[in-house]
Amino acid sequence: MKRDRDRGKAAAAAASGKPNMWPEPQPDAGMDELFAVLGYKVKSSDMADVAEKLEQLEMAMGTTADDGVSVLADDTVHYNPSDLSGWVDNMLTELTGESSTPNFAGEDDLRAIAGGAIFDTTESDNGCKRMKAAEADVRSEFGENSSAVQQPRAVVVDSQETGVRLVHTLMACAEAVQQENMKLADALVKHVGLLAVSQIGAMRKVATYFAEALARRIYKIYPEEPLDSSLSDILQMHFYETGPYLKFAHFTANQAILEAFAGANRVHVIDFSLRQGMQWPALMQALALRPGGPPAFRLTGIGPPQPDNSDALQQVGWKLAQLAETIGVEFEFRGFVTNSLADLDAEMLEIRAGDEEETVAVNSVFELHQLLARPGAVEKVLDSIKAMRPKIVTVVEQEANHNGGAFLDRFNESLHYYSTMFDSLESDGGGGQDLMMTEVYLGRQICNVVACDGAERVERHETLEQWRARMGSAGFDPVQLGSNAFKQASMLLALFSSGEGYMVEERDGCLMLGWHTRPLIATSAWRIAAAEG
Amino acid sequence: MDMDMDMDMDTKKKCTRFFINDNMDVLIEILKRLDEKSIGVAACVCRLWCALTRNDALWEHLCFRQLSPPREGVRTVVAALGGYRRLYTLCVKPVLTRLGKRKDMWTTHEVDLSLSLFCVDYYERLFLAGAATPPSSLIFLCKAG
Repeated sequence: MKRDRDRGKAAAAAASGKPNMWPEPQPDAGMDELFAVLGYKVKSSDMADVAEKLEQLEMAMGTTADDGVSVLADDTVHYNPSDLSGWVDNMLTELTGESSTPNFAGEDDLRAIAGGAIFDTTESDNGCKRMKAAEADVRSEFGENSSAVQQPRAVVVDSQETGVRLVHTLMACAEAVQQENMKLADALVKHVGLLAVSQIGAMRKVATYFAEALARRIYKIYPEEPLDSSLSDILQMHFYETGPYLKFAHFTANQAILEAFAGANRVHVIDFSLRQGMQWPALMQALALRPGGPPAFRLTGIGPPQPDNSDALQQVGWKLAQLAETIGVEFEFRGFVTNSLADLDAEMLEIRAGDEEETVAVNSVFELHQLLARPGAVEKVLDSIKAMRPKIVTVVEQEANHNGGAFLDRFNESLHYYSTMFDSLESDGGGGQDLMMTEVYLGRQICNVVACDGAERVERHETLEQWRARMGSAGFDPVQLGSNAFKQASMLLALFSSGEGYMVEERDGCLMLGWHTRPLIATSAWRIAAAEG
Repeated sequence: MDMDMDMDMDTKKKCTRFFINDNMDVLIEILKRLDEKSIGVAACVCRLWCALTRNDALWEHLCFRQLSPPREGVRTVVAALGGYRRLYTLCVKPVLTRLGKRKDMWTTHEVDLSLSLFCVDYYERLFLAGAATPPSSLIFLCKAG
């Protein structure tokens, strides 16, 4: 019994070619049942036979791909998954059999599916064997009957397989777009839509957003004017409520600012993205309770113009002032409305010196990357930051490279990034409206990364290493985020219901928050390089 | 903790000259040492006890008893932001529960975090005062772990 069960497990694992999380083995009530639970029908009498054939199949798969990547091991095609024995037979015949290419009536373009996209390598040559496997891929989708192959079976039923196929189709579509093969891209993007419907949860949402973004790019329907800034603030507010990302960003940045303000009597924070001001209550409270009493706290908030000309910044400033009065902190607020940070310069901010000398901190959460859309903008802003003579500059950015030169690279990177992010949010248990709005918020970013270009593409995320280099060459030295920040961050994460999934990582004095092994956002702190006069 | 109250009852029966409700400072000292659940039970005893359990000093002790001395200014700030009872219910208790800590293992880090979250909550209530949806940035603390 046990031997067969193990073999059954191994056989099933080989069938889909990747380690899966199997459900707990059912109590042994017969050979069939274990497979039946997984959706496969195998007769007990056939088990040994099937296992042997699977071994042969695995060997055959291994020799099919000539680039070291056992393609089908990751991308098996189930022609009728429930009949495992029949399926194995078909696969064996196909792989060890003919080499003639089947006839596609009117679907010639599909043969051009580049192996590279599907098999996740950077090679783009269409080797004959790879194409055959790709065709086998496609054939199952489109149910084409060809003279050479003899299985007219049904299309994929297993949703896990569909998930893998979905990702591959998305990547194939992106590659087609990069190669300007819009006819193919069009077919593929429609297909993604079909596949996405069979999925649930994060996978479905991510696929839908990426498909929509691809469609926009293909049909050149770019989003209309950028979202109303007050609506965009509301979306970010919902993002704040779901998941620990923004809270992590605020708490770690605040800790660095708090430590930099130690001993100062007058402090001034310049916030590049005031929005609803959610970062500052916690800092003000920490300042109120610091030994020796609070300093005089001045906040300069920067924000975009409002469509109805209302002064959103002042409203936020007023709320913060009320809070400050409640907790006993001397408070002053000033708002600056500007379309771009590059239009600001330090003199406007009227940093005080002399008797009223203030210690300055500059804070930027998810703002700097937008400057990369215009050449020279980020350098100008970094220069004006230096002119502000800050004691500390806190920067929080997405940890990903979505600013690569090649569209396909950006696409693949962002697919991985947002899939991870959506996964993490899904696990927190739907917050209902909050989750939905958060998804819209992220969906807009996806749309921008994939569908836009030039000055319109503002979601130009770059990795910590890239920012490090940029800050370094602009004349900034890193400031280590201390253990207090790390402890606070870890505690914060532990409070989230799926605390096991989130992780805090310290890298060269910077803190990163990630989901499982993938870092998603990074907080870093900087000061003006000592060498400068 | 229930033993304290049993003892009081016994004492009352045995010795009619001493009635705990006449000695509120003693009563408060006793109630201060209770845990949250017991305070809830105590609140059901009589109106006086109910009123006493709403005394913020009790909850302050509950929040920070292991950290002495309490930091200067904390009381004013907490009172302004809504009081220790609210702080405990909203932040301290979930933080402790989620982090699986007993109160005697509490450090200033947990205190700081709780206070920060408390302040964020206050700001949200201030900000969204009058809005249809209540502030939800602390909802993650309420979700079942």
